[in-house]
Amino acid sequence: MSAVARLRRGLVYVALSLAAFVSIFPFYWMIVGSTNKSADIVVGKATPGFDLFNNVATFFATVDVPRVFWNSTFLAVVGTIVTLLVSSLAGYGFEMFRSRFRERIFALLLLLLSIPFAALMVPLFVLVSQMKLVNTATAVILPGIASIFIVFYFRQATKAFPTELRDAARIDGLKEWQIFVYVYLPVMRSTYAAATIIVFLANWNNYLWPLIVLQTVDNKTVTLVVSALTSAYVPDYGMILVGTVLATLPTLIIFFLLQRQFVEGLTGSVK
Amino acid sequence: MNHTLTRWRRALGIAIAGISMLTVTAASAASTVTVWCWDTNFNGAAMREAAARYNVNHPDVTINIDDSATQDDIRAKLQTQLLAGNTQGLPDIVLIQDDVAQKYLQSFPGAFEPLSDAIDMSAFAPYKVAAATFEGKSYSLPFDSGVTGVFYRSDYLADAGYKAADLKDITWDQFIEIGKTVKAKTGHNLIALDLNGDGLIRVMMQSAGKWYFNADGSLNILGNAPLKAALETYAKIWAADIVKPVSGWTDFTGAFTSGDTTVALDGVWMTGTVKSKPELSGKWAVAPIPKLAGIDGATNYSNEGGSSWYVLSSAPAKADAIDFLKTIWGGDADFYQKILVGQGAFTSWLPARDGEAYKSTDAFFGGQAVWQDFSDWQAKIPGVDYGTFTAEVDAAVIAQLPSITQGGSVDAALQAINDQATQQMQ
Amino acid sequence: MAQANLSRNERISGWVFIAPALVLLGVFMIYPIIWSLWMSFQVGKGMNFSFGGFTNIIRMTKDPVFIRALTNTLIFLVVQVPIMIFLALVFANALNDPSLRFRALFRTAIFLPCVTSLIAYSTLFKSMFAGDGVINKALLAVHIIAEPIAWFADPFWAKVVIILAITWRWTGYNMVFYLAAMQNIDRSIYEAARIDGVPAWARFRYLTIPMLKPVILFTTVISTIGTLQLFDEVYNFTAGTGGPSDSTLTLSLYIYNLTFKFMPSFGYAATVSWVIVVIVGILSFLQFLVARDRRPAA
Repeated sequence: MSAVARLRRGLVYVALSLAAFVSIFPFYWMIVGSTNKSADIVVGKATPGFDLFNNVATFFATVDVPRVFWNSTFLAVVGTIVTLLVSSLAGYGFEMFRSRFRERIFALLLLLLSIPFAALMVPLFVLVSQMKLVNTATAVILPGIASIFIVFYFRQATKAFPTELRDAARIDGLKEWQIFVYVYLPVMRSTYAAATIIVFLANWNNYLWPLIVLQTVDNKTVTLVVSALTSAYVPDYGMILVGTVLATLPTLIIFFLLQRQFVEGLTGSVK
Repeated sequence: MNHTLTRWRRALGIAIAGISMLTVTAASAASTVTVWCWDTNFNGAAMREAAARYNVNHPDVTINIDDSATQDDIRAKLQTQLLAGNTQGLPDIVLIQDDVAQKYLQSFPGAFEPLSDAIDMSAFAPYKVAAATFEGKSYSLPFDSGVTGVFYRSDYLADAGYKAADLKDITWDQFIEIGKTVKAKTGHNLIALDLNGDGLIRVMMQSAGKWYFNADGSLNILGNAPLKAALETYAKIWAADIVKPVSGWTDFTGAFTSGDTTVALDGVWMTGTVKSKPELSGKWAVAPIPKLAGIDGATNYSNEGGSSWYVLSSAPAKADAIDFLKTIWGGDADFYQKILVGQGAFTSWLPARDGEAYKSTDAFFGGQAVWQDFSDWQAKIPGVDYGTFTAEVDAAVIAQLPSITQGGSVDAALQAINDQATQQMQ
Repeated sequence: MAQANLSRNERISGWVFIAPALVLLGVFMIYPIIWSLWMSFQVGKGMNFSFGGFTNIIRMTKDPVFIRALTNTLIFLVVQVPIMIFLALVFANALNDPSLRFRALFRTAIFLPCVTSLIAYSTLFKSMFAGDGVINKALLAVHIIAEPIAWFADPFWAKVVIILAITWRWTGYNMVFYLAAMQNIDRSIYEAARIDGVPAWARFRYLTIPMLKPVILFTTVISTIGTLQLFDEVYNFTAGTGGPSDSTLTLSLYIYNLTFKFMPSFGYAATVSWVIVVIVGILSFLQFLVARDRRPAA
């Protein structure tokens, strides 16, 4: 490496380290906070303490941890799988089979994406209650499955999908659904990996809609329950931070597991 | 799908049978009363205690307490369902903060059950009953009081040469002078204030028996002497350089628990937070709040926060719900002693003050009989009608706070508040 | 791509692939949207509605709070989205270099903010930007400022903190989309360019960016909509008030207040919601005009 290249490389490391530090610090603080007493957290103590077990014990005593985690996991996993399937099919469909009419539908969908959810919540609730779905997992998952956001993402990512692959597959006599399953899916692995992280994160943190539609304590999610702990007159921040750390872990694990898929590059299949 | 979920849980061996089955049958069996509240260690715990007491003589009534949502969330849920006209998911009893109660009672006529026919309201602090009275009937069982006091560091004041008597029945100007002296002698700011809240202004205004509205519900800003005096006082406190600016609840409570500021001027429910540092025992005391000088009807007593229990008219078990509230919350003096000690819940049910716990003294506050003091002050709080547009006017007031703290004209601020509030109330 | 003459098979497949999504959207979007449109012509509080024609639109033009919310939202949009997209692209590009060490570590670190809980990070941000917080102390120590900045009491600085916070939270999130898209770029093109002596910045500008164009467009649209619907940060940082002096009040927070905090005024809240749709419509139209003007040249 030349001196200039080495200097440039050094600057990249400095910039990335700085960004990494700034990004990690609140996360670090959250973990350290979970080991401290509420009174210490309030005054800004940033060093580890000895109250982790106390805080964990309080959290487990206050929250039915297995149940809320099971509820969240069920909703997030089922929601993510179905959303990815339905929305990636649509994204593929919109991009690979373009027609003027479908282009118009797509443009309309993009516009509808911008309506704030708060404006749609009451009629959606009326709808769901007419379907007798209030307080069910179906009611939480169903309205989010056809995600315009993810349809849009897959459509944009599909633009990089080489049409020659499709044409070759057609010549080999594959049906359209077979092309999707056997050619498109493997090639777009990195896109699916990124989308899984994004959809899982959205489902896991989903707040307003589950709040409205889930009625009984035994159906509530981690996100709802942990957030509720903060509304106390005297919030126990030690316990709350234990809750936030635990609530963060699943998304982080998904990220760790999937990041290889979209960074280590694809071997062979495309190029 | 709910059943699928339930099956799945069973398959995984997670023990859910008990409560889940009860909730499923909640709609059909008239013996389950569901309650929504928002603080596990406070109103949730108090409700659980009440339920346990009621169940001694009424084992057939199951009281199901859901305190797994924030107060904002409960409002959002309640409002969405009342608007959607779907009552199947609503509870039998819900806790609502006093200053928003009128909004619900008037926006959703018929949604709540009047309680004054079944329960004797004269046993409660009159200002609490007034907050929930609509068209001659009272709709709530009053829960915690928000009677205000000045929690102060007696050691800081002693260092600056003041005694407890110097804080009794004073005016805001005297209070500010004390703050300046304390700051000069000890270096501690008097009070922490958050520009994103107008709690202090509301406390001052109610201490003179006024609110943002006239008796007919119309806006009363421009000619509202207590409001004007409150804004002027607020500006003076900032100008005296005795304020620690804070942002958010944690920062706010941290200011006095850490020993940064000299006082915390809040509702009685702040007692628990003040006492969160046991090593400061004996260094705190409580006094009545200062009074607005030169204002008709001004007192040293006011209210901040506090909430009450409401029964939904659509509730399948509303008869049981009312009987439960009446029996325990409207008649069990012993219960109130228990939740005062356990949760620091200070009731607005007046007979409770004769109990043992209410008569006790507290070494943390230098042996002061704080509960008796708060009881005395509570009885003298001027009642006000919070009306239906408090949130709108609050937003208008908060928007003007930065300008008046920087020396801006109070009259101009009042005009701006009036204009914005008028616009928002249409 | 040949889309002019779709075969019969392709015409049918086109519908089959998008059918599940369209059916679901038809059920769960169309009805609520029509309801919300209809509501925007209703006036009244609580459950007493009556047809008001354009009353809500007229009220909006005279509502100082709405004007403030709209202005703030547009300021957030114009300042924040470009900064974030640029940073996300730069980080993604740096982390896509296979010879870089500790890549997994940096990647995870920069992604962390979007999973860090809102409760934790808003509490921390508030304390860091407090009057005697660590940010002021640091700036004072290096003599950048002479006296502490009142971050949350000053309308300008309060906006700055919000912009910093959302940029902090969402940069790593956008980076993920770019990293995923970069896998579809053929590495041999870079190698060829490198051998030809094309400098790194030029490879980034003339190779990477054009190839990522669809995904950049996607993230820009998503971030634009996200910022137009900005709610979490302002709600949590300002105790729900959008203060000081409404300087951080956004359209979404205003809609929330109109719906849940104030005397429920659904018709008006629905009207304000549609403003966001109109803004997105206008932005898309502008983008379309720009794209059309460029086409002959390109």
